Amino acid sequence: MARYGMALDYKNCINCRACETACKAENGILPGKDNYRIWIGQKEAEGEWPNISIVSQTYHPSQCQHCDNAPCQQVCPTNATYYDENRVVRVDPERCILCTYCINACPYDARYVDDRTVTVDKCNFCSDTRLANGETTTACQATCPTKVRTFGDLDDPNSEISQLLKTREYKQVKEHLGTKPKLFYLI
Amino acid sequence: MNELSIKELFRFEKTPLNLLIAILTVGLLGIFVAGATYYFIHGHHAFNVTRQHPWGLLIAMYVFFVVSSTGLCIISSIGHVFEVKEFQVIGKRAIAGAIITLLSGFAVIALEVGHPVRMLIYNVLTPGFTSAIWWMGTLYGIYLVFITFEFFFLTIKENHKWAKIFGIGGLLAGLAAHSNLGAVFGFLISRPTANGVFYPVYFILSAMITGCYLIYIIYGFKYKNSYPANIKAMLLKLNKILGMLLGILIFFEAWKIITALYGTMPERAETILHVIKSPTFIFGEVILGMLIPFIVILFSNAKAIKPMVYVSLAGMVGIFFMRYDLVHDTLIYPMDTLKRSEYQLPPTFIEYFPSATEFAIGFGGIGITLLLFYIAEKVFNLDVDTKH
Amino acid sequence: MKVEISRRRFLQGSVALSIAGGVSLTPSQIIASAKAATKPEDFGKTKKVATLCEMCVNKCAAFAYVRNGVITKLDPNPHFPKSRNMLCPRGNCGIAAIYDEDRLKYPLIRDGEKGSGKFRRVSWDEAYSYITEKLVKILDEEKDNRSTVAFCAGEGMAEHTFKNFYTGFGSSHFLNHATLCLATTVSGYSLTIGSYGQADLENAKYIIMAGANRAEAILTPDTLDLFKRTRGRGAKLICVDPRFTNTAAKSDKWLGIKVGTDLAFVLALTYVAIKEEIYNKEFVKNNFNDFESYKNHILSNNYTPEWAEKITGIEASDIYEIAREFMANAPRAIYYQGRRTTWSKNDFQLRRAQALLTALAGSIDTKGGICFGKKIPIKGHEVPSPLYDNARGRIDATEAAVVGGSGTWVGFRNKVLEGRAEYPIRALFNYKHNPMQNMPNSKKTEEFLKKLDLVVTIDTMPSDTVLLSDVVLPECTYLERTDPLKVFGGIEPAIAQRNKVVEPMFESKPVIEIMRGLTKKLSKPLFEITKKYDEEVQDMIVEDGEKSVFEEEFNLAKAFESSQEELNHHAVSDYEGAAEQLEKIGVFYPNMDRYFKKIGVNDYEYYPEDKKFYSVRNGKLKTASGKVECNLKSLAKKGIDPMPTWKKEYELEIPNGKFRFVTGRHAQFTQSGTANNKMLLDLVPTNYLWINKRVANKLGIKFGDDVEVVSKVGKTKIKAYPTEKIGPETLFFIHGFGNYSEDLTLAHNNGGRDAEILEDGIEPMHGSTCLHDTIVEIRKV
Ligand SMILES: Nc1nc2c(c(=O)[nH]1)N[C@H]1C(S)=C(S)[C@@H](COP(=O)(O)OP(=O)(O)OC[C@H]3O[C@@H](n4cnc5c(=O)[nH]c(N)nc54)[C@H](O)[C@@H]3O)O[C@H]1N2
Ligand SMILES: Nc1nc2c(c(=O)[nH]1)N[C@H]1C(S)=C(S)[C@@H](COP(=O)(O)OP(=O)(O)OC[C@H]3O[C@@H](n4cnc5c(=O)[nH]c(N)nc54)[C@H](O)[C@@H]3O)O[C@H]1N2
Ligand code: SF4
Ligand code: SF4
Ligand code: SF4
Ligand code: SF4
Ligand code: SF4
Ligand SMILES: [Mo]
Repeated sequence: MARYGMALDYKNCINCRACETACKAENGILPGKDNYRIWIGQKEAEGEWPNISIVSQTYHPSQCQHCDNAPCQQVCPTNATYYDENRVVRVDPERCILCTYCINACPYDARYVDDRTVTVDKCNFCSDTRLANGETTTACQATCPTKVRTFGDLDDPNSEISQLLKTREYKQVKEHLGTKPKLFYLI
Repeated sequence: MNELSIKELFRFEKTPLNLLIAILTVGLLGIFVAGATYYFIHGHHAFNVTRQHPWGLLIAMYVFFVVSSTGLCIISSIGHVFEVKEFQVIGKRAIAGAIITLLSGFAVIALEVGHPVRMLIYNVLTPGFTSAIWWMGTLYGIYLVFITFEFFFLTIKENHKWAKIFGIGGLLAGLAAHSNLGAVFGFLISRPTANGVFYPVYFILSAMITGCYLIYIIYGFKYKNSYPANIKAMLLKLNKILGMLLGILIFFEAWKIITALYGTMPERAETILHVIKSPTFIFGEVILGMLIPFIVILFSNAKAIKPMVYVSLAGMVGIFFMRYDLVHDTLIYPMDTLKRSEYQLPPTFIEYFPSATEFAIGFGGIGITLLLFYIAEKVFNLDVDTKH
Repeated sequence: MKVEISRRRFLQGSVALSIAGGVSLTPSQIIASAKAATKPEDFGKTKKVATLCEMCVNKCAAFAYVRNGVITKLDPNPHFPKSRNMLCPRGNCGIAAIYDEDRLKYPLIRDGEKGSGKFRRVSWDEAYSYITEKLVKILDEEKDNRSTVAFCAGEGMAEHTFKNFYTGFGSSHFLNHATLCLATTVSGYSLTIGSYGQADLENAKYIIMAGANRAEAILTPDTLDLFKRTRGRGAKLICVDPRFTNTAAKSDKWLGIKVGTDLAFVLALTYVAIKEEIYNKEFVKNNFNDFESYKNHILSNNYTPEWAEKITGIEASDIYEIAREFMANAPRAIYYQGRRTTWSKNDFQLRRAQALLTALAGSIDTKGGICFGKKIPIKGHEVPSPLYDNARGRIDATEAAVVGGSGTWVGFRNKVLEGRAEYPIRALFNYKHNPMQNMPNSKKTEEFLKKLDLVVTIDTMPSDTVLLSDVVLPECTYLERTDPLKVFGGIEPAIAQRNKVVEPMFESKPVIEIMRGLTKKLSKPLFEITKKYDEEVQDMIVEDGEKSVFEEEFNLAKAFESSQEELNHHAVSDYEGAAEQLEKIGVFYPNMDRYFKKIGVNDYEYYPEDKKFYSVRNGKLKTASGKVECNLKSLAKKGIDPMPTWKKEYELEIPNGKFRFVTGRHAQFTQSGTANNKMLLDLVPTNYLWINKRVANKLGIKFGDDVEVVSKVGKTKIKAYPTEKIGPETLFFIHGFGNYSEDLTLAHNNGGRDAEILEDGIEPMHGSTCLHDTIVEIRKV
């Protein structure tokens, strides 16, 4: 029993997309332009050469936010989307009827249709591939060259993530929607 | 019930209009089957829906059908539930229509939902009570049972008491189901143009309007524009009701747009501004769906019956665009406005155009409606019993 | 913590399988070859093997997971101080390299016109015999002038194995990536401060990174250390690049310099430091040789910021500010050395000036500066290096002032092509290298390869160079072989080893086995030729007997007798348990058992702070005088400026409506080597032409439009990416795309090919190629 979350030192992110490839390999994600659990958002540069706004080129690592109050979970007609015992938002491919309502409901574009199971898929914090084997890191975290990601138990006050959230300021994405995301962007 | 032989089933008056409808029906059924086949081979890749635009024409057509069903149910209930005399004539035919359009909707949605059989199982085993889709689906199931019994007691068993009981049940289930369908969109907290109370209410309103249009079309076709007195009386009343409903709808829509634009709330105002500039909105929804019928009613002092039959055809096209826009407009604003790759243009409003398969299944569904209607007209006596 | 294992687990590894879902290499084939290669008792188990990535030059440590004989995942191996605990995107996509359906599978011999792409499959033995026959003929005709056969190689763990063959063969011609890559900066820093060194980006406070794109051109540990500290978090980063790169995005200040003008920028920084006397006086006094000359040189030439502004486009006020800040942060201020420094004719002088500026801050051999670090001694093994009397000297020695052991590749190629060579060059052995893509003016490379009687290429993929070869020998990928272990010296030195993860697929083999097979066949017949023409050898035979001379000196196979595993064991036999540890976790260094610690969920400590090798030279640099060399008078004799000097001829005019083209890296690709990688192409399907947005607007070019880029020597087609991240006079696209080879199904004709349009000038010091001196035009198509 844990409550997993991830803190992102997103200013470290160099937009290398190693996390994306690691996730694909770890979770066997098929190629294809819609098939991704994780991505890096960026804007086109603002300003005119040679006066480019450096902050306009900040990179935004993103994936399922594992909302503690997840719209995707609420709208699921068959409870195929559920919270597992670690408060990770998961999809049970046996129960998913592929109504794609959850894809519409997710405010973060975190979900897509997986052609292997023909059900909805998204980041599951590597619960089945890594955590179940006793590993304590996610594939995207482990591979990151600049160590953007810190994954851990939010309920454990001694975990590194809890300490980070205590000592550093952070922001969350679309917090105003009341989704209570468990991805924390360290400032 | 009519005595029926197979031969009888295929016999109809070979007027040009009937022939046209017959060809249309066969054609639409053909493309439905073709679309379904293609879908069974290629799965969801046969559709142009994407991660960013997961719902498309099929959802729109599903809504179109079930709105028609609810609309017919509501209008017919004016007669046999609320006992408004003029409307009692339409009872049987409208209920038949409600069943038929609902079944057509189910046929379309069965091909949209990836695992319809699994749906039947897990809707029961692990129901998602917080899900508007669950409620909508379940209530439409109940609704179908009610209106089927209602139809049974209207045409086969001819028991008015039971027909009325099931009629009331059907109406309530229908209203509940339908407002839940509105809630399917209204509950999307992430989509500022959909989220809120508007859709559940709007759905009922537009269902009633759809019901009116359909009654005009059905009776117009049936009586080839020469109506018996009782029908005429009904259609005249309907004229007034429709006029009023359209007035309310226009009022509603206007305020929706104004409140959305007011204060230029980032995502919402942008989206609405984009929406009201699109041709499907201006020509489809506004001109065909609302203005033309409204103006005709207004300028004929609510006395136009013949024109209303044709105008209703336009109205139904408008209603289609309302359904299409409902789905599309909800989804056009991207949930992530950042680029995912250096080498791409920044995301703007998300584009979607249905694939041939989606067109085939979606519009092919109308073929099912026509076929079932034809059979129903043959098998059942849908007119008010003259014996009485 | 309880976590359910869902039914989806069976899907793990399906990336490997889905990648291989092609015609030529089906999943069942993989499984079949895996079955054949897996011991029955391992089948179904997940096996974890320590390997080293070879998707690029860095050699990051990785663990490979194997299930049913199929590699399902590569994970970072945290034990290696150089790669810390990471794998970059390319490293993760190594699975797509081993399971690439287009891989070379069998030895091939050309069966049609050269370049036609027609080959026939042969056995290894046939291939060896064919090569032997050809070489015997050539060497007989050339009277045992071994130098008529040239050898070239790309960088790699087993490059040395191939080089042993070259050594035994006795040619003077070894060519590698150095003059296409880093020769000028390595020698610029070495001649000035004694070594290229390692920039201590973990501790530096002020870094000028000019024309090095560490956020995209990934180098370890630099990339890993730097970007945790920029933007107000410990290190100030000044990025100087004509493009706004990902590194610029992480910098505190970015300067969009005019291409090819960096030397003026550095000279002006030096001017400010000297003029304002803000340099590290103590360090200069103790450690500089002939500082006065340099001081006078800089001041008397008036290399002022105002002067530089006109040349570089960088405002004088910025130059003042940066020079002052740089010196204020001494000795933790670094002018980063750079890596691919094949820019323009002044590159060597630029690197010298950079080294001198860094030295003016005293940031040499000290924490936070440029460190030299330590190596860990290991044992070598003997390889035959016979002397051949008839082997003649390098033909390219005259093409530049100082031509080193890796030659001047472009100078060599051009001399052969132009028929200026003193004797004919007739054959080429090519290992892990793709000159068709990686040398400028690829039409010339093509002609060059066609001109040779025998081109033997050892590669893993049907590259453009393979296309123009006579014999193609398929090496297995890095995941299928154990390679020579390697010492990675530096502030935190370590030995790392690549262990075989799975058995080689198809008929591919590691290069050591290829060399073994080839030399077994080749040695004797070649010795016969030497016997025929080499009087020294004839004498030796008279003295010692033929058998003994051959066995002692000329049996080239001796270098490859032992297995790689045995050689590795031997190399570290001085350290107890090292060989076993290298097999198990891939990394070893003395005291690792005590030093290595996990200190956080992401972080590890490799050496305690006081055991790191920041300062090792004790005030004595490895230069001729033991000090920082300001004035290299010996170079003057060879026509090279003894001190960095700006010359009018460095100012390249860009005619109206034309552009200067620059090339470079991208985080998701490695030169030409990953152009066919399915997983990487899934992220970025093709390369795009960077063109200034306003310029593109004027030309009516929109995103995704096809444009043709045309230079004096060639043209190429590519899609446009209008952006403000590049100036109006410059064009750029990622290197490595637009391959000719049809056998690379994904890379064939995909995107723009820079090798086709680049002109092939070389700089005067080492004959390094100048990749940024090409003027191009564009046309919308
Ligand atoms: N992801 C990835 N990483 C790699 C490699 C790879 O292929 N892919 N390759 C490895 C190898 S072999 C090498 S050598 C290194 C190369 O590493 P780098 O040398 O750092 O990388 P490049 O992209 O070749 O080039 C340098 C930068 O110089 C800029 N530039 C061009 N002209 C000028 C100029 O006149 N002045 C200045 N200031 N800048 C200029 C270009 O815009 C480009 O951003 O990367 C290594 N790491
Ligand atoms: N236009 C332009 N030219 C450039 C550069 C540039 O930026 N632009 N960069 C320059 C630089 S810095 C460098 S370092 C050079 C690099 O030039 P190269 O050394 O040619 O490097 P790659 O392009 O990576 O090509 C490597 C070849 O080795 C093959 N290979 C990969 N793995 C193995 C293996 O395990 N065994 C064998 N036998 N073969 C293998 C690949 O299939 C590929 O054909 O290019 C230089 N040339
Ligand atoms: S691996 Fe790390 S640095 Fe690279 S894109 Fe992902 S989060 Fe950013
Ligand atoms: S981010 Fe989206 S998919 Fe993830 S939990 Fe929240 S709503 Fe669900
Ligand atoms: S698509 Fe699957 S997971 Fe999503 S709401 Fe429907 S049943 Fe639930
Ligand atoms: S936590 Fe695992 S599943 Fe989620 S994005 Fe990272 S690698 Fe993918
Ligand atoms: S930097 Fe990337 S490609 Fe290069 S060795 Fe490391 S993981 Fe492999
Ligand atoms: Mo390089």
